[in-house]
Amino acid sequence: MVEPLSPLAPVWKPGSHGNFVDGVGVVLSETRPGSIVEAAAWHGAEKKLMAAIRKATGLSLPDGAGAGAYADGRGAFGIAPGRFLLADQAEGLAERLSAAVAADTGTVTDLSHGRTAIRVAGPKAEWLLSKFFAIDFALPAFPVGSGLATVHHDIFAQIQRTGENAFDLYVFRSFARSFWTMLGHGAEEAGYEVR
Amino acid sequence: MSPRRAASGGRIDRARTIRFTFDGQAYTGHAGDTLASALLANGVTLFGRSFKYHRPRGVLTAGIDEPNALVTILAGDVREPNIPATMVEIYDGLSAVSQNRFPSLGFDIGAVNQLGGKLISAGFYYKTFMGPVVGPLKGTRFWMFCEHFIRRAAGLGSAGHAADNARYGKMNAFCDVLVVGAGPAGLSAAKAAAAGGGRVVLADLDAQMGGSTQWSGETIDGKPAAEWAQALADELAATPNVRILPRTTVWGYYDNNTLAALERVADHKLTPARGEPRHRHWIIRAGSVVLATGAFERPLVFRGNDRPGVMLASAAERYANEFGVLPGENIAVFTNNDSAYRAAAALKQAGASVAAIVDIRPDVSVAARELAAQAGAELLLGYAVVGTEGGKGLSNIKVRRFDNAGTLSGEPRIIAADCLAMSGGWSPVVHLASQAGGKPVWDAERQAFLPPSPTQNWIGAGAFAGAADTETAIAEGRKAGEKAAGEKASRAKAVKVFAPALDPNPAPYREVRADGKAFVDFQHDVTAEDVRLARREGFLSVEHLKRYTTLGMATDQGKTSNVPGLAIMAEARGLSIPEVGTTRFRPPFSAVSLGALAGERYGELRPDRLTPMHDWHVEQGARMYAAGLWFRPQIYGHPGETVEQAYVREAKAVREGVGMVDVSTLGKIAVQGPDAAEFLDRVYTNMFSTLAVGKARYGLMLREDGIAYDDGTTWRLGEQEFLMTTTTANAGKVMQQLEYYLDIVWPELRVHLTSVTDQWAGAAIAGPKSRDVLAACVTGTKVDNEALPFMGIVHGEIDGVPVMICRLSFSGEMAYEVYCGAGYGLHVWEALMEAGEPFGIVPYGMEALGTLRIEKGHVTGTEIDGRTTARDLYLDWMLSKKKPFAGSALMDREGLLSPNRLKLAGVVSLDGRALNGGAHVVTGGSLDEPGEDIGHITAVCYSPALGKYIGLAMVRGGKERIGQRAYYCDPVRKRFGPVEIASHHFYDPEGSRMHG
Repeated sequence: MVEPLSPLAPVWKPGSHGNFVDGVGVVLSETRPGSIVEAAAWHGAEKKLMAAIRKATGLSLPDGAGAGAYADGRGAFGIAPGRFLLADQAEGLAERLSAAVAADTGTVTDLSHGRTAIRVAGPKAEWLLSKFFAIDFALPAFPVGSGLATVHHDIFAQIQRTGENAFDLYVFRSFARSFWTMLGHGAEEAGYEVR
Repeated sequence: MSPRRAASGGRIDRARTIRFTFDGQAYTGHAGDTLASALLANGVTLFGRSFKYHRPRGVLTAGIDEPNALVTILAGDVREPNIPATMVEIYDGLSAVSQNRFPSLGFDIGAVNQLGGKLISAGFYYKTFMGPVVGPLKGTRFWMFCEHFIRRAAGLGSAGHAADNARYGKMNAFCDVLVVGAGPAGLSAAKAAAAGGGRVVLADLDAQMGGSTQWSGETIDGKPAAEWAQALADELAATPNVRILPRTTVWGYYDNNTLAALERVADHKLTPARGEPRHRHWIIRAGSVVLATGAFERPLVFRGNDRPGVMLASAAERYANEFGVLPGENIAVFTNNDSAYRAAAALKQAGASVAAIVDIRPDVSVAARELAAQAGAELLLGYAVVGTEGGKGLSNIKVRRFDNAGTLSGEPRIIAADCLAMSGGWSPVVHLASQAGGKPVWDAERQAFLPPSPTQNWIGAGAFAGAADTETAIAEGRKAGEKAAGEKASRAKAVKVFAPALDPNPAPYREVRADGKAFVDFQHDVTAEDVRLARREGFLSVEHLKRYTTLGMATDQGKTSNVPGLAIMAEARGLSIPEVGTTRFRPPFSAVSLGALAGERYGELRPDRLTPMHDWHVEQGARMYAAGLWFRPQIYGHPGETVEQAYVREAKAVREGVGMVDVSTLGKIAVQGPDAAEFLDRVYTNMFSTLAVGKARYGLMLREDGIAYDDGTTWRLGEQEFLMTTTTANAGKVMQQLEYYLDIVWPELRVHLTSVTDQWAGAAIAGPKSRDVLAACVTGTKVDNEALPFMGIVHGEIDGVPVMICRLSFSGEMAYEVYCGAGYGLHVWEALMEAGEPFGIVPYGMEALGTLRIEKGHVTGTEIDGRTTARDLYLDWMLSKKKPFAGSALMDREGLLSPNRLKLAGVVSLDGRALNGGAHVVTGGSLDEPGEDIGHITAVCYSPALGKYIGLAMVRGGKERIGQRAYYCDPVRKRFGPVEIASHHFYDPEGSRMHG
């Protein structure tokens, strides 16, 4: 089987960078999920879609805007009313979910190639993301599992908190290299590691 | 030992010597010094030249309110002008220069302006330089003549031309409580607010937290005030829910409690740490705000009040107490209030002698008298300073008796002094409160504008709110912090402050009138007489006064001059100060670097958008160009080829063999749902519900006003699933428009849209041998004419990767678009190149693509330019008559059907020269006298198929003119020549090549 190529390949420089004299503040990595899928419910069928997501992924989505869940390399979170982004380290989620979502519940779109997943982790992860997004990333305001859709100038980004100090960012593949470079640039003063 | 450094005292680190230069001369100071304090310690009194009269100026203040001592900081070739020396923390290697002087600070030719003072008073520019630009050298014409010289002579520092390579950052912050100012009130507020557990941000413009405690000499809770503040600041720094921002000026208060702040991250270092920005722009969204911004001391207005050596009493006190620097050896004090007495005592204690305290009041408080006695000063009550003497520094002051009505009497008495510490009372720093909304309120007792009642969620505390003393400020701060955090008032014991019981209220603000220049606005050289002149000439409102005299403008924004200016105007008009008007403040509170506002976008102004095959194109020597945010290959040039030679070669290869172009940039939208077909029928002019699964169709969209909007092919992948493609440039706009239709216009339709532009890599393979190439590499499906007819879609694999192939053509040749998952894009592209090698496949760029489509007469964004209709482009055949669609109601408006409209046509160069896009098409004449303008050229190329330079054009009458002679006329590029109007279908008009 052919391996999909990461758009970050030419700028992928593992190791420590920037001002890491006092340790590394940020860890940047690419999570390379096997599946990235968007699911959208028809008006009124949101609960049915959430049930289908639970069936296909095992993730129970709480109610409410931006609510989400993350466990065992699988994540799902709301990105718009009735819309969810799902990622799974395993391949084939689009097919599994399509089978679980009836036509009168909603639609499923495979974006496994269309989005690049970047993980920003470490004690300065919130600090770094705050440079780019006018979002309150503090844990009480943005708990683990929850997510949102936002934009950094021209770049759309969908962000899920996957740990106390970890965020997974999904950006359009074509912008990923530029965005990665900006993240590295922004992380320089905190010291960052690529791994 | 520096000449003016006190033997002990101050919060500087005397063990650490810092070396710096000012105007090229080397000096030393200590860690903790500002440039102002270090220069004063070295005996420097002359800091700069004034704006208009080039008068010698010293330092007036010790903080952000400084109007005089502006310097330019040099960092390599980069110059940062107009920085108050009072705000520059010195560091080893600091290099600063004075401003607005030539040839040197000590000897300045511009000082001759002082002689012509009367001539260049307020309104000089309006009176001298406004008028018609006709006739002799006067009015505006005179200005045009003089401007260069005036701009050289008048002004502040000059910016450099070298690029600023410093980094600037941006930061978003959210908090429950933002405390602005870390003086006694702010520190107390932050502590109280933090106790509730909410997130607290404490910002102060100085490097040290503590504000006035740094120099007040007071005792708080039995500790020296500075130690008390330091302990509290340390405690807050160790509190996890508190973020302390030193060197951070909150400069803007916007709606919804959004505040802007500038953090000077690395201005106190020779070189920033790795990756560290020089400045950081903070955007702080606060639940509530505690304003504890303190108060500015006001100068007094009297003759010669700008002579170097004359400074604010609080500044003199601060230099002595905070920096261990004596601003003079023999100091006089001139005041209208008690606070200057504390300064007198402090200066005496630091080692200076205090010659006299001149107070315009006939009587003062007991505490003040005690301080005067401590200072060992002669107390001259009911006196005023009427003049100062000295060269570039102060030597004497002149005093006379002064009564309540402002009348002077008695013989002047001369008192020797090398420093005059003055105080005209205090103005609370109400700027942020004013910005937040609301009009400051005049308090006659305090002789000051106090903050307005809040229109946003802020609470004031301390001197900002008019607190009379530190104990009140601390108590108010605590209350404000508790309230801001939504806590109940605590019962903790109040803090005890030991300080003299001074009277907080000054005498009514009064100018001391005498002949000679008495300055109100030091930075802009506005005198008391200028204010009166403005009144005489009818500029009565404060806003007119400001604009006529420039009072309160420039970098200090009138921090020291506001109330003195109003007081003089009030007296001249016989009104009270609040009747004259109130100044409202707007952001920024103090100067903000543009770099900080631009933030990290500097150097990364726009992101690059790259296709999956980008690196391959670059490796193959493609010249890339920007198409919106995308990068696309223009040509794959061979060594020595011109752009034209390259695209002609590439286009020819497509016509004769096979070529391949990266089309991954096309906008792609997944349109899914039971109503997807109906939706497409509504947004496209032609029918899509009749399209069979596995087939594609070319579609055209109109705007609602009937003008053509975008085009592309849409593929039916399933009964309820379509893949829409749009032009590269319009992808985002089309997506937005479609979402708008679904959200607002037809919410009842069950359709979902998802951008899948980046999901798919696309390669268009075109030319008579394109099918052979596919046949050689595609498995899992046939690609012959039966299995894959024109506009057919098949699914298969190329070298192990699933692909989707649609047979459609932009070039006019037999052609296919091959789509695969973007991560496989390069793999499939390389497999196709390999399979195509025996057939002579070439990659081609945008120039060749453009050439092929011009030859074929296919339209793009240069023709669908927001002005053309479907009929203008001869796309009438796409306008369905069986159904309404977006734009159908308005597309047949009379104006859009006019025979005079510009319509699509071809043009062929008749003189063998290349055409220009954008050139006019005219009926005859010459370059200088062109004939009737009948249209313009939209796209041009050299056509290898025709062997001629050709173009597409929008021409009045369109096809009716086919065969007519016309001329291209390009006055900008000075080109003119004959063309023949032709059909826009230059090549294979029957389409036999792509259908074959």
